[in-house]
Amino acid sequence: MSTNTETTSNHAEPKPGMNAASRRYTTDLTATGEPFLWGLGGALALGILLVVGFLVLIFWNGIATFWPKPIEVVTLNSGTVVAGEPTRDNVFKPGDGLLERLTEQDREIIDSNVGFAHRVLYRTGNYDLYNEDFRWVSDFEIAKVETPPGMYLFERQEWGVFIGRIAGLVLDGESRNLSDYDRAAIQEQQEAARERFEEIRHIERDEIGEVNYYMEQARLDLKRVALDHGRDSGEYRQAERETEQQITELQREYEQLAARAEAIKETDRRYRITLEEIGGEQKELPLSEIVRFYPANDLSPFGKAAVYFSRWGEFLTSEPREANTEGGVLPAIFGTVAMTLIMVVFVAPLGVITALYLREYAKQGRLVSIVRISVNNLAGVPSIVYGVFGLGFFAYTLGGGIDALFYPERLPSPTFGTGGILWASLTLALLTVPVVIVASEEALSAVPRSMREGSLACGASTWQTLRRVVLPRAMPGIMTGLILAMARGAGEVAPLMLVGVVKLAPELPVDGFFPYVHLERSFMHLGFHIFDVGFQSRNSEAGKPMVYVTTMLLLALIVLMNASAIYIRNRLKKRFAGSAF
Amino acid sequence: MTTNEEATQNKTDRERATAQRRRDKGTRKSVLLADRAAGWGITAGGLLVIFAVIGIMVFLVAVALPLGGGGETLEHAEYDLPAKQTVWLNADEYSTLGVRVADDGSYRVFHLTTGRSVSSGQLDFGGERATAIGGVLNRDRVAFGFQDGSIRFADLIFEADVLLQSDLPDGAEPLDQRDRLAGEAIYSNLPGEQVRRLRFRAETQAPVAVADAPIVALAYRVGGTTERPTRSFVTVDAEGVGRLSRAISKLNIMTSELTTEVRTTDLPPLPADTQVTTVELTTLADTVLVASDAGQIFRFDARDFNHPTLSETITAFDDGSTISAMEFLNGEQALVVGGSNGALDVYFKLSPEQGAAPDGYKLVRARQHEPHGAAVTAISVSQRSKSLVTEAANGEVWVRHSTSDQVLLRYDHGGKQAVDSELLLLPRVDGVVRVASTGEGDFWAFDYPHPETTLDAVFGKIWYEGYDQPTYTWQSSSGTDVFEPKYSLVPLIFGTIKATVYSLVFAIPIGLLGAIYTAEFVHRRVRATVKPMMETMESMPTVVVGFIAALVLAPIVETWIAAVLLAFIALPMGLMLAAFLWQLLPLQTALKLDGLPKFFFMFATILLSLYVAYNLGPAFESGFFYSDFMAWTNGDIGTGTPFMFLVFLPVGFFVARWLVHRVFGDRLRDYQRGLTKSHAGALDFLRWAGLLAAAVVLSLAAASALTALGFDPRGGVVDTYVQRNALVVGFVMGFAIIPTIYSLAEDALSSVPDHVRSASLASGATPWQTAKWVIVPTALSGIFAACMIGMGRAVGETMIVLMAAGNTPVLDWNIFNGLRTLSANIAVELPEAPQGGTHYRMLFLAGLTLFVMTFTINTIAENIRLRFRKRAFQL
Repeated sequence: MSTNTETTSNHAEPKPGMNAASRRYTTDLTATGEPFLWGLGGALALGILLVVGFLVLIFWNGIATFWPKPIEVVTLNSGTVVAGEPTRDNVFKPGDGLLERLTEQDREIIDSNVGFAHRVLYRTGNYDLYNEDFRWVSDFEIAKVETPPGMYLFERQEWGVFIGRIAGLVLDGESRNLSDYDRAAIQEQQEAARERFEEIRHIERDEIGEVNYYMEQARLDLKRVALDHGRDSGEYRQAERETEQQITELQREYEQLAARAEAIKETDRRYRITLEEIGGEQKELPLSEIVRFYPANDLSPFGKAAVYFSRWGEFLTSEPREANTEGGVLPAIFGTVAMTLIMVVFVAPLGVITALYLREYAKQGRLVSIVRISVNNLAGVPSIVYGVFGLGFFAYTLGGGIDALFYPERLPSPTFGTGGILWASLTLALLTVPVVIVASEEALSAVPRSMREGSLACGASTWQTLRRVVLPRAMPGIMTGLILAMARGAGEVAPLMLVGVVKLAPELPVDGFFPYVHLERSFMHLGFHIFDVGFQSRNSEAGKPMVYVTTMLLLALIVLMNASAIYIRNRLKKRFAGSAF
Repeated sequence: MTTNEEATQNKTDRERATAQRRRDKGTRKSVLLADRAAGWGITAGGLLVIFAVIGIMVFLVAVALPLGGGGETLEHAEYDLPAKQTVWLNADEYSTLGVRVADDGSYRVFHLTTGRSVSSGQLDFGGERATAIGGVLNRDRVAFGFQDGSIRFADLIFEADVLLQSDLPDGAEPLDQRDRLAGEAIYSNLPGEQVRRLRFRAETQAPVAVADAPIVALAYRVGGTTERPTRSFVTVDAEGVGRLSRAISKLNIMTSELTTEVRTTDLPPLPADTQVTTVELTTLADTVLVASDAGQIFRFDARDFNHPTLSETITAFDDGSTISAMEFLNGEQALVVGGSNGALDVYFKLSPEQGAAPDGYKLVRARQHEPHGAAVTAISVSQRSKSLVTEAANGEVWVRHSTSDQVLLRYDHGGKQAVDSELLLLPRVDGVVRVASTGEGDFWAFDYPHPETTLDAVFGKIWYEGYDQPTYTWQSSSGTDVFEPKYSLVPLIFGTIKATVYSLVFAIPIGLLGAIYTAEFVHRRVRATVKPMMETMESMPTVVVGFIAALVLAPIVETWIAAVLLAFIALPMGLMLAAFLWQLLPLQTALKLDGLPKFFFMFATILLSLYVAYNLGPAFESGFFYSDFMAWTNGDIGTGTPFMFLVFLPVGFFVARWLVHRVFGDRLRDYQRGLTKSHAGALDFLRWAGLLAAAVVLSLAAASALTALGFDPRGGVVDTYVQRNALVVGFVMGFAIIPTIYSLAEDALSSVPDHVRSASLASGATPWQTAKWVIVPTALSGIFAACMIGMGRAVGETMIVLMAAGNTPVLDWNIFNGLRTLSANIAVELPEAPQGGTHYRMLFLAGLTLFVMTFTINTIAENIRLRFRKRAFQL
């Protein structure tokens, strides 16, 4: 202990000669260290504030995104009319050039705000007409703002949203009078058109996709025969004949399907809607192009809620459109979950076995400390290094080897020899194994010694003791470790970018074709989706709402996993807790 | 059933069993076997972790290692061709065929590895002998100069097409494992039962009269588009007159007749008695370089075709040696000059600020390669990389790489003197052909996969083409073929360190101080909520943090930069102020409010300070940064004084505090003892205010003094503002590693045994004294380890820096500038790097560097932590 404390306590002693009864308590503010305490507490408070602020920011934006906003029609001083959803606002510093062009009054307002002006970002949509989705409107530009009824927001299959009014309707090839159709009726038509659209898509993607798949298989089988027996062999000639026959059959099937799709398309073309933006420019498009539409300013709270939930429904159950900035994230959810589950299959045995070794088998010594150092280093190695290793070793070396052995007919295009869900899972398993080891070790060490000794004394072998006594008791703790590993794995993006995550995966790793599970396929991932939409899309502003919602989803997934792990851990601690000071 | 009964029952059972048969007391075989198998399996599994770590390292090393490895000569073939004066060599793209053109226009096509003659023919030289020759970099378009001052163009073309194996003509004669000869074509086996047919075709065009005297030097370039090529050439005749010509061919669509129009302009005359050895011309025909035997290089500026001017004359070698060979490296940015003294230097055309020629450029000697033992007689440059091969008069043939300044392979032609030989580096840089006028042909095939990288190139400064000076640069790819890859890891390592340092500056104070407070000053129940919350943040996906940083925080920080900077001052000030105000509270009230209410006051203080910073931001900007922070960082306005004042403020405070305590400390304390708490608090408040005032005076004086001395912080850690910068990265990555540091430090602090704490408190120490003098010193190594592990995380963090750091590989400490880390670099570039290439392996080397960095940091941290744990248990 340092001398300072001693001095302090010396001072605190009553001075000699003073009566003990009249002892006075003295004030020594340095001993309390109030400013320092505030420094420490302030740091903690700041830390908590950052965390909470961060979570609130994401959850607030994520939850609010799908709520329909009103459409404001802004008339500018210049006479231009802008219609759009107010997305966000901020203050900015107008440049000198801009300031000069303003009126005296506006300049005064800006001056009184120490040089800042306020502006609102409107989502104007109509990208096909305006060449931009968003527009900043500064307060000093605005003549008046209204929210007139009859303004619609259309979410379209292509070109993003359209904001405007309905100007015309063509049903079954005949132009209809708009006054005969109220919103519900148009909606009914739109839903019917949408069903046709879905059917076309089903035929084109799923059924024709199946035909294509079998054609490709037939070609590959033929190639395989050529590789095995040579092109001059009898086997090859026979296979060639068979393949040709097969392909002709498939071709016929394809033509039938295409004709069916064309028939529906023909009908579809007879249902059209004409939209008119605020400036009066019109745009005609098939009714089936419209995913969803609603009169933003006329909606009741229930109507808004309906739109809100319908958007959530689409988000969770459909595929992305518009370069991932709209639509759903189902493939990404699927990819994330599938990858995490496959990862657990690898990480669980490896982690638990290592923990068993460290706790139950190894004699404490040099070897064990090397293993511990290795575990800690595995935990400390940057995730991107795992990605590098995964790409170089798993994908290129292992996968390349598998390709050469089992899929020579597909070369030079790689099957396993490139990033895929299997390699991604393996890479992440390596990354998360320390988490499982540490948690499992903790769980094993929480099993009281007496239980082991009891079992051994009854004549059970070491393995029997482990399997029947120790492991069941430690299982909840091990599960905690696995959940934590899953949480960690689900949130990692950097290594995945190298070993198999893609922007858009047309095929899920599980489908109806033999062998049903395609571990070599690349996949989509929620985390990468965030990166991709936020940073690599045409217009990151347009993708932002999507990013927030995806972020919230991913975060919710991870927080949920962590919370459950912590809950299990705390319950276990209580159950097994001995006496603590 | 009672226990007793049970026992009896058991006993009777056993007796009965014994009675029936002798019980087998041994363990069943299967149990033993399972036990043994499990033991082996688990031990093996446990050791697998070691193998995983070693495996990762070994694999990374194995991939990165070939970067430093050299190359090997695969074969050397010698053959005889007809003895003729060789003027030109060309070979095909696939290193199969070579063609030798002699000065009389006869050519012979030969198989490179065997020397087997494939075809031969005659270019239409009109019976003349070529006196000078020039060709494009691809070597398929050549111009010949003649005695009568005329020029003839020729195309030497290899035609390749891919056929099926079955199309191979019968009776093809195998030459080697790959190639077969049939007629005048070579058929090479390709994977997938295909063959490639290679044939040679030569075309000569009608002569163009250029000069009256014999042409002694010639350079030829083809620019423009494929449909409308612009052929430019420079000739120097025996009278020393240089001419720049441009031939534009037009195809008449009606008659499909090709007409060539040649325009010629005279170069300004060279000094008298100049013996020209070689000329060079750029593809754009804007620069003409003429080398003389006196060692001079004349640079003509021909941007104005009709009025070329002599811009500059330099002496290439210090000893005045003759320029015996001269060639542009591909890209025409670098000029390789070989001298009669064996020297081989590289010149760049740069535009320096000082000492430039009238046209604003200057030839600068940038590299001096290892000299030959005798005069350099021939240079052949690669069409695709910065490799070249040089031959000297003593028969040395060296394959070199210019960027990495190394001689890759050295061939000695049996000590034979080089006699008028021509040299060719194959297009794929996998072989060298040399044909002497005696007809002796040599062919060396080699494999040198990574000539660009040496230890010096990766970690040292290199003078790259187009740069003013040697630099550390990372630039791995570009759109063009002629690009010089720059593989210096230094900017990336620097970026990693910069990001780490700035993020630790944020994370360590908040993480550590928060941990101390949690461990020592809050109620157990608060701790039970706060800690799991922070730990959950530890598994927060960094992609989320990065997204918020780049798309939300960066624009806000950019707009509110002054407020953000002010917050760094306002927060500590606000907390201090609140603390001193708190001291004014009467003892009873203070005790009553201790604990959770006080913690809430701290929250309030922070929010209030942030609000104040937000409101005062603009005023702060106008007061300290001359109303425009961005312009101030650029160095456009104002001085560095206000900024330095702010930086010195805390320093000044501590200096003032130290001085005051030195002089009045004891007296002040003694006086304080006699007062009530509120009065003492008031006194303390006054003391603090006084210190603050003193600090302001001190730091203002220091800042002004430094400014007067001409010191300005701008240009160092403060410089031009970029939206995605180290400040944002530091803040956000700090945010990401706070949980790690916090959690580990808290663990270390709370694992200090409670009896130590109790002992200190029982001896009369306050909680603050206990924490400061007992707990923190005991846990110090654990805390240090926490910081190290946090640092390890920051070093390897990828997504945040990838999204928020701007990814510019620059070498400066400017907190307002971006950076590029090793990890972000890997994430960006590895998906595009072709497997096995130099770039790919360089990225593995970057990964290995990261691995080694974090391995070191973590191992040190782990050792410290283990030692701490041992000590904590001993207590």
